[in-house]
Amino acid sequence: MTLLEATNLRKTFNLGRGNIVEALRGVNVTIDAGEMVAIMGPSGSGKSTLMHILGLLQQPDLDWEPAPSLVIGGRETTHLPDGARTQARARELGFVFQSYNLVPTLTAAENVALAADYAGRGGSRGRAAALDALGLVGLSHRANHRPNELSGGEQQRVAIARALVNEPRMVLGDEPTGNLDSSRSAEVLTLLRRFNRERGQTFVLVTHDPEVGAACDRIIRMRDGRVLGSELARAA
Amino acid sequence: MLLVRNLARRKLRTALTISGITIGIWALVVFGSLAAKIDSLVTGAHSYFGNRVIVSSEAGGGGMFPLPISLVGQAAIIDGVDVAFGEVDTMIDHTAHQIGLPDEMVGFVQGADAGRDDFPYRYAAGRPLTAADEGHDVVVLGASIARNNDSRVGGTIRIRDADFTIVGILEPTLTVPDSQAFMPLTAAQRLYVKDLPPDMAGNLIPAQTITHIVIYPAPGVDVDQLAARLQTSLPKVTAVTAKEFDQTIGSMANLLSGIIVGVGLISLVVGGLSIINTMAMSVNERTREIGIKRAIGGRRRRIILELVTEAGLIGFIGGSLGLVLGVIAVTLGNQVGQDSGTVLFSLTASTALSALIFATVLGMVAGIVPATHAARLDPVQALRHE
Repeated sequence: MTLLEATNLRKTFNLGRGNIVEALRGVNVTIDAGEMVAIMGPSGSGKSTLMHILGLLQQPDLDWEPAPSLVIGGRETTHLPDGARTQARARELGFVFQSYNLVPTLTAAENVALAADYAGRGGSRGRAAALDALGLVGLSHRANHRPNELSGGEQQRVAIARALVNEPRMVLGDEPTGNLDSSRSAEVLTLLRRFNRERGQTFVLVTHDPEVGAACDRIIRMRDGRVLGSELARAA
Repeated sequence: MLLVRNLARRKLRTALTISGITIGIWALVVFGSLAAKIDSLVTGAHSYFGNRVIVSSEAGGGGMFPLPISLVGQAAIIDGVDVAFGEVDTMIDHTAHQIGLPDEMVGFVQGADAGRDDFPYRYAAGRPLTAADEGHDVVVLGASIARNNDSRVGGTIRIRDADFTIVGILEPTLTVPDSQAFMPLTAAQRLYVKDLPPDMAGNLIPAQTITHIVIYPAPGVDVDQLAARLQTSLPKVTAVTAKEFDQTIGSMANLLSGIIVGVGLISLVVGGLSIINTMAMSVNERTREIGIKRAIGGRRRRIILELVTEAGLIGFIGGSLGLVLGVIAVTLGNQVGQDSGTVLFSLTASTALSALIFATVLGMVAGIVPATHAARLDPVQALRHE
């Protein structure tokens, strides 16, 4: 079943003084529910921009022909106003970033509960959901620690718990293992793979790392703002 | 809790901003109390003047200069005059300098006003003077004089080298009578003439000397027109009414109150600007964090609310500290003032409450601009911010 279908995605950045970067030059992508997909390509290939657009963090350029389309879960999203996009990010999407991006003043549990709160589960319900999610990533015992008291691997596991707490349709990862050494990196990958297998969680991971690509079902290769092709990964 | 943690992570800057607001609110509370005190003096004095005309020597109205008592008779037959009587009303000690109202001795024959004086005198102890007290050295003391001299009914007080028996003590009125000593006319005349400088005393006979004539107009007579008529009909006098009092003292007092409150407000504007500065820097530092919150689904309104609440909390803390320090300053000031016979400040609950609300609202308003700016950040840009 198709979860996401994107067609004709273009994105141009005007850096000023006539310096225009065409990050995406017409990209078509389809992702099925329950898939674990890697988007790979060299720096500047447009893979991060693609992730930002698929994650509703940025809008594709709308003034091109043919018109772009991004359908997630059956809903066309390209013309949604900011409030609706924000709500969709809260309830239907999860994010894992290279540099973890936890709120430094909040404990692990509070960081996870914040995402639950944004999705409409505040107070004790959100806190309970946060503790459950931390349990899933094996960090129950670190729930009341602040990010600066956690290792990189632990912080990334908190971020994964935050991405999963609202049971989203899709989790997007931007170099989720980029800051981790190889054993921590393998740990995080195993975790993601487990959520994919056991719970049918869809993952879209932007990465440089061949190990990550190898752990996925499919790899989408990009270069110069275009999709070169899509290949099945070696089964992990 | 999170709010407090956010404030705590930039301790020095938050502390400086809070002290800015603290000083502003402190100034507003202290100056506001001073203004309120001036205001209550003026309002009280206005009602004390009431519907009267006070006639004094054209040389000056402060009770320094003598009038012949024969003028009372001349005044009484002027058209529109209902009641006229003479009194001695002069500073007890002309060499004394004090802030606020000077102590005065006031002598007139009880009942001379024919019941027209409707100022609400209330007795904390003892009794009012009566006409039968004439010829005796007895006195009724205003609240401030009584307090400053630790006076008791039945005790004595020395006024200009004479010992008076205290028969009554008034409750505080917060205006003129608090610093007055009321005595029989004869006693006041005697003390007044005895201490006049020789060139003024001349051949004055105490029993024929007063300092003021108090006039009550007949019903329906315009008090200001009557004053003008008295001034032209009687030789070498000045006649003033409550209106003139308002125009001179009242407008001066209003101006003073305005300046005083203005100074307080200026300091708050400076405090408000420092909140804007603090919040703007704080937003800048937290750009990445705001990006994270926006990315994982934090709505703009939520982000604005968080930051505005934080700014409001800075204002509230500053306001509370300023209020506490202001209350201390006012209390200490009044204690010091009490020894010299003057209560300088009148801090009301509404002054206190409005200062606190003002500080909080000021903080929130100051937070709106940086908060709105923060909420408008592009999440992707904000996440790249370091």
